[in-house]
Amino acid sequence: MKKLILKIPLYLILMLLCLELLVRIFHLAKDTPTRYVDDYQVEKWEPNQNGFAVTGNRRQNFSEYRINSSGFNSYREFKSTKENFEIALVGDSFIEGFHQNYYNSIGKKIEKKLDTVSVFEYGYAGYDLADQLHLIHQYKEQFKNVDKVILGLKYENDLFRSKYQIEKSRLALNTPLNRMLKKSKLLVYTKSIGALNPLLNFINKIKNFRKTKTTIIKTATTIDVEVTARIANLNALIGLYGFNKTKYYFLLDETITPKLFLNYLDQNGYKYISIGHKLQQSTKNTTLIYDMHWNNLGREIIANEIVRYLNSENKDVLKMNNR
Amino acid sequence: MLFNSIDFAIFLPIVFLCYWYVFRQKVRLQNLLLLVASYFFYGLWDWRFLFLILASTIVDFFVGIYIARNNENPKNAKFGLYVSILFNLSLLGFFKYYNFFVESFTDMFQLFGYTIKSVWTLKIILPVGISFYTFQTISYSLDIYYKRINPTRNFLNFAAFVSFFPQLVAGPIERASNLLKQIEKKRSFNHDQIVSGLKLILWGLFKKMVIADSLAPIVDDIFANYPEYSSATLILGVTLFSFQVYGDFSGYSDIAIGTAKLFGIELMSNFKFPNFSRNVAEYWQRWHVSLSTWFRHYIYIPLGGSRVNKLISIRNIAIVFLVSGFWHGANWTFIFWGAFHAVAFIPVFLLGRNSIYKNSVVAQNSILPSIKEVFQVFITFVIVTFSRIFFRSESITDAFKYIKQIFTNVTYEVYAHPMGYRMIDYYILLAVFVVYEYIIRKDERNPFKFKSRTVRFLIYTLLIFIMLLFYDDGVDRSFIYFQF
Repeated sequence: MKKLILKIPLYLILMLLCLELLVRIFHLAKDTPTRYVDDYQVEKWEPNQNGFAVTGNRRQNFSEYRINSSGFNSYREFKSTKENFEIALVGDSFIEGFHQNYYNSIGKKIEKKLDTVSVFEYGYAGYDLADQLHLIHQYKEQFKNVDKVILGLKYENDLFRSKYQIEKSRLALNTPLNRMLKKSKLLVYTKSIGALNPLLNFINKIKNFRKTKTTIIKTATTIDVEVTARIANLNALIGLYGFNKTKYYFLLDETITPKLFLNYLDQNGYKYISIGHKLQQSTKNTTLIYDMHWNNLGREIIANEIVRYLNSENKDVLKMNNR
Repeated sequence: MLFNSIDFAIFLPIVFLCYWYVFRQKVRLQNLLLLVASYFFYGLWDWRFLFLILASTIVDFFVGIYIARNNENPKNAKFGLYVSILFNLSLLGFFKYYNFFVESFTDMFQLFGYTIKSVWTLKIILPVGISFYTFQTISYSLDIYYKRINPTRNFLNFAAFVSFFPQLVAGPIERASNLLKQIEKKRSFNHDQIVSGLKLILWGLFKKMVIADSLAPIVDDIFANYPEYSSATLILGVTLFSFQVYGDFSGYSDIAIGTAKLFGIELMSNFKFPNFSRNVAEYWQRWHVSLSTWFRHYIYIPLGGSRVNKLISIRNIAIVFLVSGFWHGANWTFIFWGAFHAVAFIPVFLLGRNSIYKNSVVAQNSILPSIKEVFQVFITFVIVTFSRIFFRSESITDAFKYIKQIFTNVTYEVYAHPMGYRMIDYYILLAVFVVYEYIIRKDERNPFKFKSRTVRFLIYTLLIFIMLLFYDDGVDRSFIYFQF
């Protein structure tokens, strides 16, 4: 018995070491850049970092990221000028685009189609509308010269808050303990492929053993109440940070946004670029495997829709060569 | 509780430590622990069905004693046997076959132009493992009746024998002469046996989680959308299903055998590399061995086996395969599957080649098989795989349409994984798996029979690594044979 008790942990440790080695050799785990809160109280990535993002068990998607000096994933630096035409894309992980090579982002695709335009991508995973408007407000000097601002808006996630506060749960990912754990590529890999989920679910099951489950069934009335609450949040944020209706656009999936909310935007002169139908019309997959983020085709469609919308809106303003 | 779940990963070490640390002094306490653990293990599925196991246990325990007491009175002994068989088959008949009979009956009327709207079908949940433990308890009564064993007078031992959790829900279907005897004896801690058990568990998990689970979405897709696919894709679908069902069931059996070893108990082998069989008869000596031997001992031989004239023997073979098909499920697909195997087996029997490979394995004395053996293995694999169209299809109509589509839509298209994954990964995986199984083909109880400790360690690590590479969080992890 003693022999077995000694042997099993020894084998386990050796195996874990070998697995760690294999995961590193095949580069199966993603690199994680360091995040921080800058002097303007904006949460973003520490400037000038490089690495690779990996999706899927068998490296189904492998892409390089580059955090620029402004703290966002982009091939370019953000320096707005009065002379040039600049577009800012502000949003969450879909705009941040770690799942694509940084030199093949939505911004880059727009620039390829409109070659006199520069696109600044202020994307950061988890950014909701409060984060986005707060960022624009804090970086007002930078945004003063930006000609168009496109805000990625997901109705389902982005309108829960009526004011900005630093998201502590996200920053907690940067604690010394978390940073240390992330040094184990095996741990990062197993977590990313969901292999730790059964264990985590089991722990949660035990934690919530005595708690009763309540399921909320969405009726027409609850949806109305929900939309009203989110519109109130939208108004509160706009009241706080301002919103230039001639310059700002929402980028949203109209197929998953309640009609009531879209009507409100229409009635109040908020412009939005719809992407849902175009994504649905595609005969090929527009998202990645193991990941809901847009793949190259998805990003191409988004870029096309943005360009199409801007072209139709700014025929005389935009002096650009449409390729 | 599934073998491939976190619940089991926690449950097993706890039971193991209690078994060898807390209760090691007394076999009675160990058996009590096994019984409680087994009922807990089963009760997590549906505690209500524990009463069925308990009922089956009580009936067969007392029937066993009754049969033995009436040894000198064949009439009474036979009565006891009938009680046991009738009771167990009634359980099986009600829970597994009731709706099938009602539906077949109404369908038959429709065939003659009468339409009957069935009002007798019931919403019955099939209790997990019912086909396995009922067969195990029937064999106990039969063995006592045929005076092969004496009945146990210890209810605890018998209850532990019926519900022994490693093999409760999907076998191997054990005989009392093997399992009950071990349960009655004091077990001692054997390091080598436990290590061998752990190895089997690892190998079983690999087969289940990598081979079976990763192929499942592909097979499901092809069988669900077969009218849209070309013959090449349909052949691919059924071939992959062949590997899936093998990985799933043999994986389960290996985990069961390995787990039993952790408690000092040896279960019979259930799979002996059936994919390397050289004819259909050899295949049945290697696939689901515990069920094949059950049918052989309790149906084929009592019917006269092969000691009667050829015609009766053929009838006996047909009966065994039809019953085997029906055992698998209340669906015509399984009966056709059984019939197909009977048709494939009978020529082998008539040629007198049904036992020639009983004690050997492909390339017995060489590294590589001969061309003849390669051809034999290939043909057997094709026959067995073809039969699986019946096994996997939802209905008999679907099975025939699937076959028709193979022969009528003779085209080739590159198949794309339903989730968009690289198919080449799966082809490489299967190739490596087949080669590895070929290397270890001589000993199904020891999948890591390599002299070098380093080589063995590297293989363990690689298996776990491949498990991670093919891990899919969203896949349904239950075992195919739980439905039978």
